[in-house]
Amino acid sequence: MNTREAKEILLLYRGPIDDSDLQFRAALDYAKSDPELGQWLREQTECYDTIRAKLRAIEPAPGLSEKIVRNRPIPFPRDWSRIAQLAAAVLISVGITALLMKWSEHRHSSVADAQEILVTGEVLDMTCYIASNLSGPDHAKCARICIRNGLPAGIKTRDGKVYLLTGEPGHSVNAELADYAAQIVTIKGRQTVRDGFTQLQVEEIRKL
Amino acid sequence: MSADLEFENLVKLYYRDLYQFGVSLTGNETDAADLTQETFYIWANKGHQLQKSASVKSWLFTTLHREFLKSRRRQNRFPNQSLNEGTEDLPNVPPDCAERVDSRTLLRILGEIGEDFRAPLVLYYMEDLSYKEIADILSLPLGTVQSRIARAKIQLLRRLSETSLPLEQTK
Repeated sequence: MNTREAKEILLLYRGPIDDSDLQFRAALDYAKSDPELGQWLREQTECYDTIRAKLRAIEPAPGLSEKIVRNRPIPFPRDWSRIAQLAAAVLISVGITALLMKWSEHRHSSVADAQEILVTGEVLDMTCYIASNLSGPDHAKCARICIRNGLPAGIKTRDGKVYLLTGEPGHSVNAELADYAAQIVTIKGRQTVRDGFTQLQVEEIRKL
Repeated sequence: MSADLEFENLVKLYYRDLYQFGVSLTGNETDAADLTQETFYIWANKGHQLQKSASVKSWLFTTLHREFLKSRRRQNRFPNQSLNEGTEDLPNVPPDCAERVDSRTLLRILGEIGEDFRAPLVLYYMEDLSYKEIADILSLPLGTVQSRIARAKIQLLRRLSETSLPLEQTK
Protein backbone atom coordinates (compact mmCIF):
# COMPACT_ATOMS: atom_id res chain seq x y z
CA MET A 1 0.00 0.00 0.00
CA ASN A 2 1.29 3.47 -0.81
CA THR A 3 0.17 6.87 0.46
CA ARG A 4 -2.18 7.48 -2.40
CA GLU A 5 -3.98 4.15 -1.97
CA ALA A 6 -4.23 4.77 1.77
CA LYS A 7 -5.74 8.21 1.12
CA GLU A 8 -8.35 6.77 -1.21
CA ILE A 9 -9.41 4.34 1.48
CA LEU A 10 -9.23 6.83 4.34
CA LEU A 11 -11.27 9.39 2.44
CA LEU A 12 -14.31 7.55 3.79
CA TYR A 13 -12.97 7.19 7.32
CA ARG A 14 -15.06 9.15 9.79
CA GLY A 15 -13.31 8.47 13.07
CA PRO A 16 -14.35 6.18 15.93
CA ILE A 17 -17.58 5.18 14.21
CA ASP A 18 -15.52 3.39 11.51
CA ASP A 19 -12.89 1.93 13.80
CA SER A 20 -14.51 -1.48 13.76
CA ASP A 21 -14.74 -1.49 9.96
CA LEU A 22 -12.01 -3.81 8.74
CA GLN A 23 -11.63 -2.06 5.40
CA PHE A 24 -9.86 0.85 7.14
CA ARG A 25 -7.51 -1.12 9.36
CA ALA A 26 -4.55 -1.49 7.03
CA ALA A 27 -4.77 2.12 5.83
CA LEU A 28 -4.94 3.39 9.41
CA ASP A 29 -1.89 1.37 10.29
CA TYR A 30 -0.13 2.82 7.27
CA ALA A 31 -1.05 6.36 8.35
CA LYS A 32 0.69 5.80 11.67
CA SER A 33 3.94 5.30 9.84
CA ASP A 34 3.49 8.23 7.47
CA PRO A 35 3.41 11.60 9.29
CA GLU A 36 2.19 13.49 6.23
CA LEU A 37 -0.66 11.04 5.71
CA GLY A 38 -1.38 11.18 9.43
CA GLN A 39 -1.71 14.93 9.26
CA TRP A 40 -3.97 14.69 6.18
CA LEU A 41 -6.13 12.15 8.02
CA ARG A 42 -6.49 14.44 11.05
CA GLU A 43 -7.57 17.30 8.82
CA GLN A 44 -10.05 15.05 7.05
CA THR A 45 -11.65 13.85 10.26
CA GLU A 46 -11.74 17.37 11.71
CA CYS A 47 -13.42 18.58 8.55
CA TYR A 48 -15.84 15.67 8.77
CA ASP A 49 -16.71 16.58 12.36
CA THR A 50 -17.27 20.22 11.43
CA ILE A 51 -19.54 19.45 8.49
CA ARG A 52 -21.45 16.93 10.55
CA ALA A 53 -21.90 19.43 13.39
CA LYS A 54 -23.18 22.10 11.00
CA LEU A 55 -25.68 19.73 9.43
CA ARG A 56 -26.75 18.41 12.80
CA ALA A 57 -27.27 21.97 14.01
CA ILE A 58 -30.10 22.54 11.57
CA GLU A 59 -33.27 22.90 13.60
CA PRO A 60 -36.72 22.03 12.35
CA ALA A 61 -39.35 24.71 12.40
CA PRO A 62 -40.94 25.08 15.85
CA GLY A 63 -44.00 22.94 16.32
CA LEU A 64 -43.17 20.42 13.63
CA SER A 65 -43.34 17.40 15.92
CA GLU A 66 -46.67 18.56 17.37
CA LYS A 67 -47.99 19.08 13.86
CA ILE A 68 -46.95 15.58 12.85
CA VAL A 69 -48.66 14.07 15.89
CA ARG A 70 -51.75 16.21 15.38
CA ASN A 71 -52.09 15.22 11.72
CA ARG A 72 -51.59 11.58 12.39
CA PRO A 73 -54.13 9.43 10.52
CA ILE A 74 -56.56 7.40 12.58
CA PRO A 75 -54.77 4.11 13.06
CA PHE A 76 -56.25 1.10 11.41
CA PRO A 77 -57.26 -1.53 13.97
CA ARG A 78 -54.65 -4.21 14.20
CA ASP A 79 -56.78 -6.88 15.83
CA TRP A 80 -56.35 -9.53 13.17
CA SER A 81 -58.90 -11.91 14.68
CA ARG A 82 -61.46 -9.11 14.45
CA ILE A 83 -60.40 -8.36 10.89
CA ALA A 84 -60.75 -12.07 10.05
CA GLN A 85 -64.23 -12.11 11.60
CA LEU A 86 -65.21 -9.07 9.57
CA ALA A 87 -63.83 -10.61 6.39
CA ALA A 88 -65.75 -13.84 7.04
CA ALA A 89 -68.95 -11.87 7.71
CA VAL A 90 -68.50 -9.94 4.47
CA LEU A 91 -67.87 -13.14 2.51
CA ILE A 92 -70.93 -14.84 3.98
CA SER A 93 -73.04 -11.77 3.32
CA VAL A 94 -71.85 -11.57 -0.26
CA GLY A 95 -72.47 -15.28 -0.74
CA ILE A 96 -76.01 -15.09 0.63
CA THR A 97 -76.78 -12.03 -1.47
CA ALA A 98 -75.49 -13.76 -4.59
CA LEU A 99 -77.61 -16.84 -3.87
CA LEU A 100 -80.70 -14.72 -3.24
CA MET A 101 -80.13 -12.80 -6.43
CA LYS A 102 -79.70 -16.01 -8.36
CA TRP A 103 -82.83 -17.49 -6.81
CA SER A 104 -84.80 -14.32 -7.43
CA GLU A 105 -83.62 -14.16 -11.00
CA HIS A 106 -84.59 -17.77 -11.46
CA ARG A 107 -87.94 -17.23 -9.79
CA HIS A 108 -88.81 -14.22 -11.86
CA SER A 109 -87.52 -15.49 -15.13
CA SER A 110 -89.71 -13.86 -17.68
CA VAL A 111 -92.16 -15.79 -19.76
CA ALA A 112 -91.51 -13.21 -22.44
CA ASP A 113 -88.20 -14.96 -22.94
CA ALA A 114 -89.95 -18.28 -23.36
CA GLN A 115 -90.22 -20.07 -26.61
CA GLU A 116 -93.61 -20.06 -28.33
CA ILE A 117 -94.64 -23.56 -29.40
CA LEU A 118 -97.62 -25.63 -30.56
CA VAL A 119 -98.45 -28.70 -28.53
CA THR A 120 -101.00 -31.30 -29.53
CA GLY A 121 -102.33 -33.77 -26.99
CA GLU A 122 -104.94 -34.71 -24.41
CA VAL A 123 -106.07 -32.19 -21.80
CA LEU A 124 -105.45 -33.68 -18.37
CA ASP A 125 -106.61 -33.15 -14.86
CA MET A 126 -103.12 -33.18 -13.38
CA THR A 127 -104.16 -34.13 -9.88
CA CYS A 128 -105.90 -37.34 -10.89
CA TYR A 129 -103.30 -38.08 -13.55
CA ILE A 130 -100.30 -37.81 -11.32
CA ALA A 131 -101.91 -39.25 -8.22
CA SER A 132 -103.86 -42.09 -9.85
CA ASN A 133 -102.71 -42.20 -13.47
CA LEU A 134 -106.28 -41.42 -14.61
CA SER A 135 -106.85 -39.99 -18.07
CA GLY A 136 -108.72 -40.65 -21.30
CA PRO A 137 -112.44 -40.62 -22.17
CA ASP A 138 -113.34 -42.73 -19.14
CA HIS A 139 -112.10 -40.01 -16.87
CA ALA A 140 -113.40 -37.08 -18.86
CA LYS A 141 -116.24 -36.17 -16.51
CA CYS A 142 -114.06 -36.16 -13.41
CA ALA A 143 -111.36 -34.27 -15.22
CA ARG A 144 -113.79 -31.61 -16.36
CA ILE A 145 -115.03 -31.10 -12.79
CA CYS A 146 -111.58 -31.04 -11.32
CA ILE A 147 -110.29 -28.55 -13.86
CA ARG A 148 -113.32 -26.36 -13.55
CA ASN A 149 -112.85 -26.35 -9.79
CA GLY A 150 -109.39 -24.97 -10.19
CA LEU A 151 -107.16 -28.02 -9.93
CA PRO A 152 -104.08 -27.96 -12.16
CA ALA A 153 -104.58 -28.84 -15.79
CA GLY A 154 -102.09 -30.27 -18.24
CA ILE A 155 -101.63 -31.61 -21.73
CA LYS A 156 -100.04 -34.91 -22.65
CA THR A 157 -98.59 -35.34 -26.13
CA ARG A 158 -98.64 -38.51 -28.17
CA ASP A 159 -95.05 -39.20 -27.24
CA GLY A 160 -95.88 -38.99 -23.53
CA LYS A 161 -94.56 -35.56 -22.65
CA VAL A 162 -96.72 -33.67 -20.16
CA TYR A 163 -96.98 -29.87 -19.85
CA LEU A 164 -98.59 -27.98 -17.00
CA LEU A 165 -101.06 -25.52 -18.50
CA THR A 166 -101.27 -22.04 -17.01
CA GLY A 167 -102.72 -18.70 -17.96
CA GLU A 168 -101.12 -15.33 -17.85
CA PRO A 169 -100.14 -14.23 -14.35
CA GLY A 170 -103.31 -13.58 -12.35
CA HIS A 171 -105.56 -15.11 -14.99
CA SER A 172 -106.76 -18.73 -14.87
CA VAL A 173 -107.50 -20.64 -18.05
CA ASN A 174 -109.18 -23.50 -16.19
CA ALA A 175 -112.68 -22.44 -17.33
CA GLU A 176 -111.68 -22.67 -20.99
CA LEU A 177 -109.72 -25.87 -20.53
CA ALA A 178 -112.49 -27.62 -18.62
CA ASP A 179 -114.54 -27.80 -21.81
CA TYR A 180 -111.76 -29.77 -23.46
CA ALA A 181 -111.05 -32.16 -20.59
CA ALA A 182 -109.80 -35.54 -21.91
CA GLN A 183 -110.05 -34.27 -25.51
CA ILE A 184 -107.25 -33.91 -28.06
CA VAL A 185 -106.47 -30.25 -28.74
CA THR A 186 -103.67 -28.13 -30.07
CA ILE A 187 -102.50 -25.37 -27.77
CA LYS A 188 -100.32 -22.49 -28.77
CA GLY A 189 -98.36 -21.12 -25.86
CA ARG A 190 -95.06 -20.17 -24.33
CA GLN A 191 -92.94 -22.92 -22.90
CA THR A 192 -90.81 -22.49 -19.79
CA VAL A 193 -89.10 -25.04 -17.58
CA ARG A 194 -88.58 -24.69 -13.86
CA ASP A 195 -87.02 -27.29 -11.62
CA GLY A 196 -87.73 -29.97 -14.13
CA PHE A 197 -91.39 -29.09 -14.68
CA THR A 198 -92.39 -27.91 -18.11
CA GLN A 199 -95.04 -25.24 -18.22
CA LEU A 200 -97.01 -23.98 -21.16
CA GLN A 201 -98.65 -20.60 -20.80
CA VAL A 202 -101.77 -20.89 -22.91
CA GLU A 203 -102.38 -18.32 -25.63
CA GLU A 204 -104.75 -20.17 -27.90
CA ILE A 205 -106.67 -23.49 -27.86
CA ARG A 206 -107.74 -25.30 -31.01
CA LYS A 207 -109.90 -28.35 -31.02
CA LEU A 208 -108.87 -30.92 -33.55
CA MET B 1 -48.04 1.46 25.68
CA SER B 2 -50.91 2.90 23.69
CA ALA B 3 -50.53 3.33 19.95
CA ASP B 4 -50.86 7.12 20.29
CA LEU B 5 -48.10 7.35 22.86
CA GLU B 6 -45.92 5.01 20.88
CA PHE B 7 -46.34 7.22 17.82
CA GLU B 8 -45.56 10.37 19.77
CA ASN B 9 -42.40 8.85 21.18
CA LEU B 10 -41.31 7.75 17.75
CA VAL B 11 -41.84 11.26 16.38
CA LYS B 12 -39.86 12.80 19.24
CA LEU B 13 -37.06 10.34 18.70
CA TYR B 14 -36.60 10.70 14.95
CA TYR B 15 -38.30 13.79 13.57
CA ARG B 16 -35.23 15.98 13.95
CA ASP B 17 -32.94 13.46 12.19
CA LEU B 18 -35.45 12.97 9.41
CA TYR B 19 -35.94 16.69 8.99
CA GLN B 20 -32.19 17.24 8.75
CA PHE B 21 -31.92 14.47 6.19
CA GLY B 22 -34.83 16.00 4.29
CA VAL B 23 -33.46 19.52 4.32
CA SER B 24 -30.08 18.26 3.17
CA LEU B 25 -31.71 16.47 0.28
CA THR B 26 -34.07 19.22 -0.76
CA GLY B 27 -32.25 22.33 0.41
CA ASN B 28 -35.65 23.65 1.35
CA GLU B 29 -37.13 23.83 4.84
CA THR B 30 -40.75 23.58 3.75
CA ASP B 31 -40.09 20.58 1.54
CA ALA B 32 -38.12 18.96 4.36
CA ALA B 33 -40.98 19.48 6.82
CA ASP B 34 -43.44 18.04 4.28
CA LEU B 35 -41.23 15.02 3.70
CA THR B 36 -40.88 14.45 7.43
CA GLN B 37 -44.62 14.66 7.95
CA GLU B 38 -45.29 12.39 5.00
CA THR B 39 -42.84 9.84 6.34
CA PHE B 40 -44.57 9.64 9.71
CA TYR B 41 -47.95 9.58 8.00
CA ILE B 42 -46.86 6.53 6.05
CA TRP B 43 -45.48 5.03 9.23
CA ALA B 44 -48.85 5.48 10.94
CA ASN B 45 -50.52 3.57 8.14
CA LYS B 46 -47.96 0.92 7.37
CA GLY B 47 -45.43 0.87 10.17
CA HIS B 48 -47.16 -2.00 11.94
CA GLN B 49 -46.07 -4.22 9.05
CA LEU B 50 -42.47 -3.86 10.18
CA GLN B 51 -41.49 -6.91 12.17
CA LYS B 52 -38.20 -5.84 13.74
CA SER B 53 -38.40 -2.71 15.87
CA ALA B 54 -34.62 -2.32 15.58
CA SER B 55 -34.97 -1.36 11.94
CA VAL B 56 -37.48 1.43 12.51
CA LYS B 57 -34.89 4.13 11.93
CA SER B 58 -33.75 2.58 8.65
CA TRP B 59 -37.37 2.18 7.60
CA LEU B 60 -38.08 5.85 8.25
CA PHE B 61 -35.01 7.03 6.38
CA THR B 62 -35.74 4.71 3.48
CA THR B 63 -39.29 5.98 3.31
CA LEU B 64 -38.27 9.63 3.42
CA HIS B 65 -35.72 9.07 0.67
CA ARG B 66 -38.27 7.22 -1.44
CA GLU B 67 -40.77 10.03 -1.00
CA PHE B 68 -38.08 12.53 -1.93
CA LEU B 69 -37.33 10.65 -5.15
CA LYS B 70 -41.06 10.44 -5.92
CA SER B 71 -41.51 14.16 -5.46
CA ARG B 72 -38.52 14.82 -7.66
CA ARG B 73 -39.88 12.58 -10.38
CA ARG B 74 -43.16 14.48 -10.18
CA GLN B 75 -41.45 17.81 -10.42
CA ASN B 76 -38.99 16.57 -13.02
CA ARG B 77 -37.01 19.71 -12.69
CA PHE B 78 -33.86 18.42 -11.08
CA PRO B 79 -32.30 15.97 -13.49
CA ASN B 80 -29.73 13.71 -11.94
CA GLN B 81 -26.23 14.99 -12.27
CA SER B 82 -23.22 12.83 -12.64
CA LEU B 83 -20.00 13.65 -10.95
CA ASN B 84 -17.12 13.93 -13.28
CA GLU B 85 -14.58 14.06 -10.54
CA GLY B 86 -12.64 10.89 -10.12
CA THR B 87 -10.45 10.12 -7.21
CA GLU B 88 -7.36 11.15 -9.11
CA ASP B 89 -6.97 14.40 -7.28
CA LEU B 90 -7.84 14.05 -3.66
CA PRO B 91 -8.26 17.58 -2.40
CA ASN B 92 -6.06 18.95 0.30
CA VAL B 93 -8.64 20.64 2.41
CA PRO B 94 -7.56 23.07 5.06
CA PRO B 95 -9.03 22.10 8.43
CA ASP B 96 -10.96 25.34 8.75
CA CYS B 97 -12.60 25.02 5.35
CA ALA B 98 -15.95 24.02 6.74
CA GLU B 99 -15.69 26.57 9.52
CA ARG B 100 -16.01 29.35 7.00
CA VAL B 101 -19.47 28.39 5.86
CA ASP B 102 -22.70 28.30 7.75
CA SER B 103 -25.35 25.60 7.53
CA ARG B 104 -27.29 27.46 4.86
CA THR B 105 -24.27 27.73 2.58
CA LEU B 106 -23.48 24.12 3.25
CA LEU B 107 -26.99 23.16 2.20
CA ARG B 108 -26.63 25.21 -0.97
CA ILE B 109 -23.41 23.42 -1.84
CA LEU B 110 -25.00 20.07 -1.11
CA GLY B 111 -27.84 21.03 -3.40
CA GLU B 112 -25.37 21.41 -6.24
CA ILE B 113 -24.39 17.78 -5.91
CA GLY B 114 -26.40 15.29 -7.94
CA GLU B 115 -29.25 13.62 -6.09
CA ASP B 116 -27.84 10.13 -6.52
CA PHE B 117 -24.73 11.24 -4.72
CA ARG B 118 -26.27 13.66 -2.25
CA ALA B 119 -28.35 11.14 -0.30
CA PRO B 120 -25.50 8.76 0.56
CA LEU B 121 -23.25 11.71 1.36
CA VAL B 122 -25.77 13.24 3.76
CA LEU B 123 -26.32 9.94 5.54
CA TYR B 124 -22.56 9.54 5.73
CA TYR B 125 -22.21 12.87 7.49
CA MET B 126 -25.30 13.10 9.61
CA GLU B 127 -26.16 9.70 10.91
CA ASP B 128 -24.14 7.16 12.80
CA LEU B 129 -24.88 4.57 10.21
CA SER B 130 -22.54 1.91 8.89
CA TYR B 131 -22.01 1.79 5.15
CA LYS B 132 -24.10 -1.36 5.06
CA GLU B 133 -26.98 0.46 6.75
CA ILE B 134 -26.70 3.36 4.32
CA ALA B 135 -26.74 0.88 1.43
CA ASP B 136 -29.85 -0.78 2.86
CA ILE B 137 -31.65 2.53 3.32
CA LEU B 138 -30.95 3.59 -0.24
CA SER B 139 -31.40 0.09 -1.66
CA LEU B 140 -28.01 0.22 -3.31
CA PRO B 141 -25.06 -2.19 -3.37
CA LEU B 142 -22.45 -1.48 -0.73
CA GLY B 143 -19.74 -0.78 -3.31
CA THR B 144 -21.95 1.70 -5.13
CA VAL B 145 -22.69 3.56 -1.92
CA GLN B 146 -19.04 3.85 -0.98
CA SER B 147 -18.07 4.94 -4.45
CA ARG B 148 -20.79 7.59 -4.52
CA ILE B 149 -19.86 8.89 -1.07
CA ALA B 150 -16.22 9.15 -2.03
CA ARG B 151 -16.91 11.03 -5.25
CA ALA B 152 -19.50 13.28 -3.67
CA LYS B 153 -17.22 14.06 -0.76
CA ILE B 154 -14.41 15.10 -3.09
CA GLN B 155 -16.78 17.44 -4.87
CA LEU B 156 -18.07 18.85 -1.61
CA LEU B 157 -14.59 19.48 -0.26
CA ARG B 158 -13.54 21.15 -3.49
CA ARG B 159 -16.49 23.48 -3.39
CA LEU B 160 -15.91 24.21 0.26
CA SER B 161 -12.29 25.12 -0.41
CA GLU B 162 -13.44 27.37 -3.26
CA THR B 163 -15.88 29.13 -0.96
CA SER B 164 -13.73 31.85 0.44
CA LEU B 165 -16.47 33.86 2.04
CA PRO B 166 -15.98 34.24 5.74
CA LEU B 167 -18.76 33.11 8.05
CA GLU B 168 -20.04 36.60 8.80
CA GLN B 169 -20.71 37.30 5.13
CA THR B 170 -22.61 34.11 4.44
CA LYS B 171 -25.27 34.73 7.02
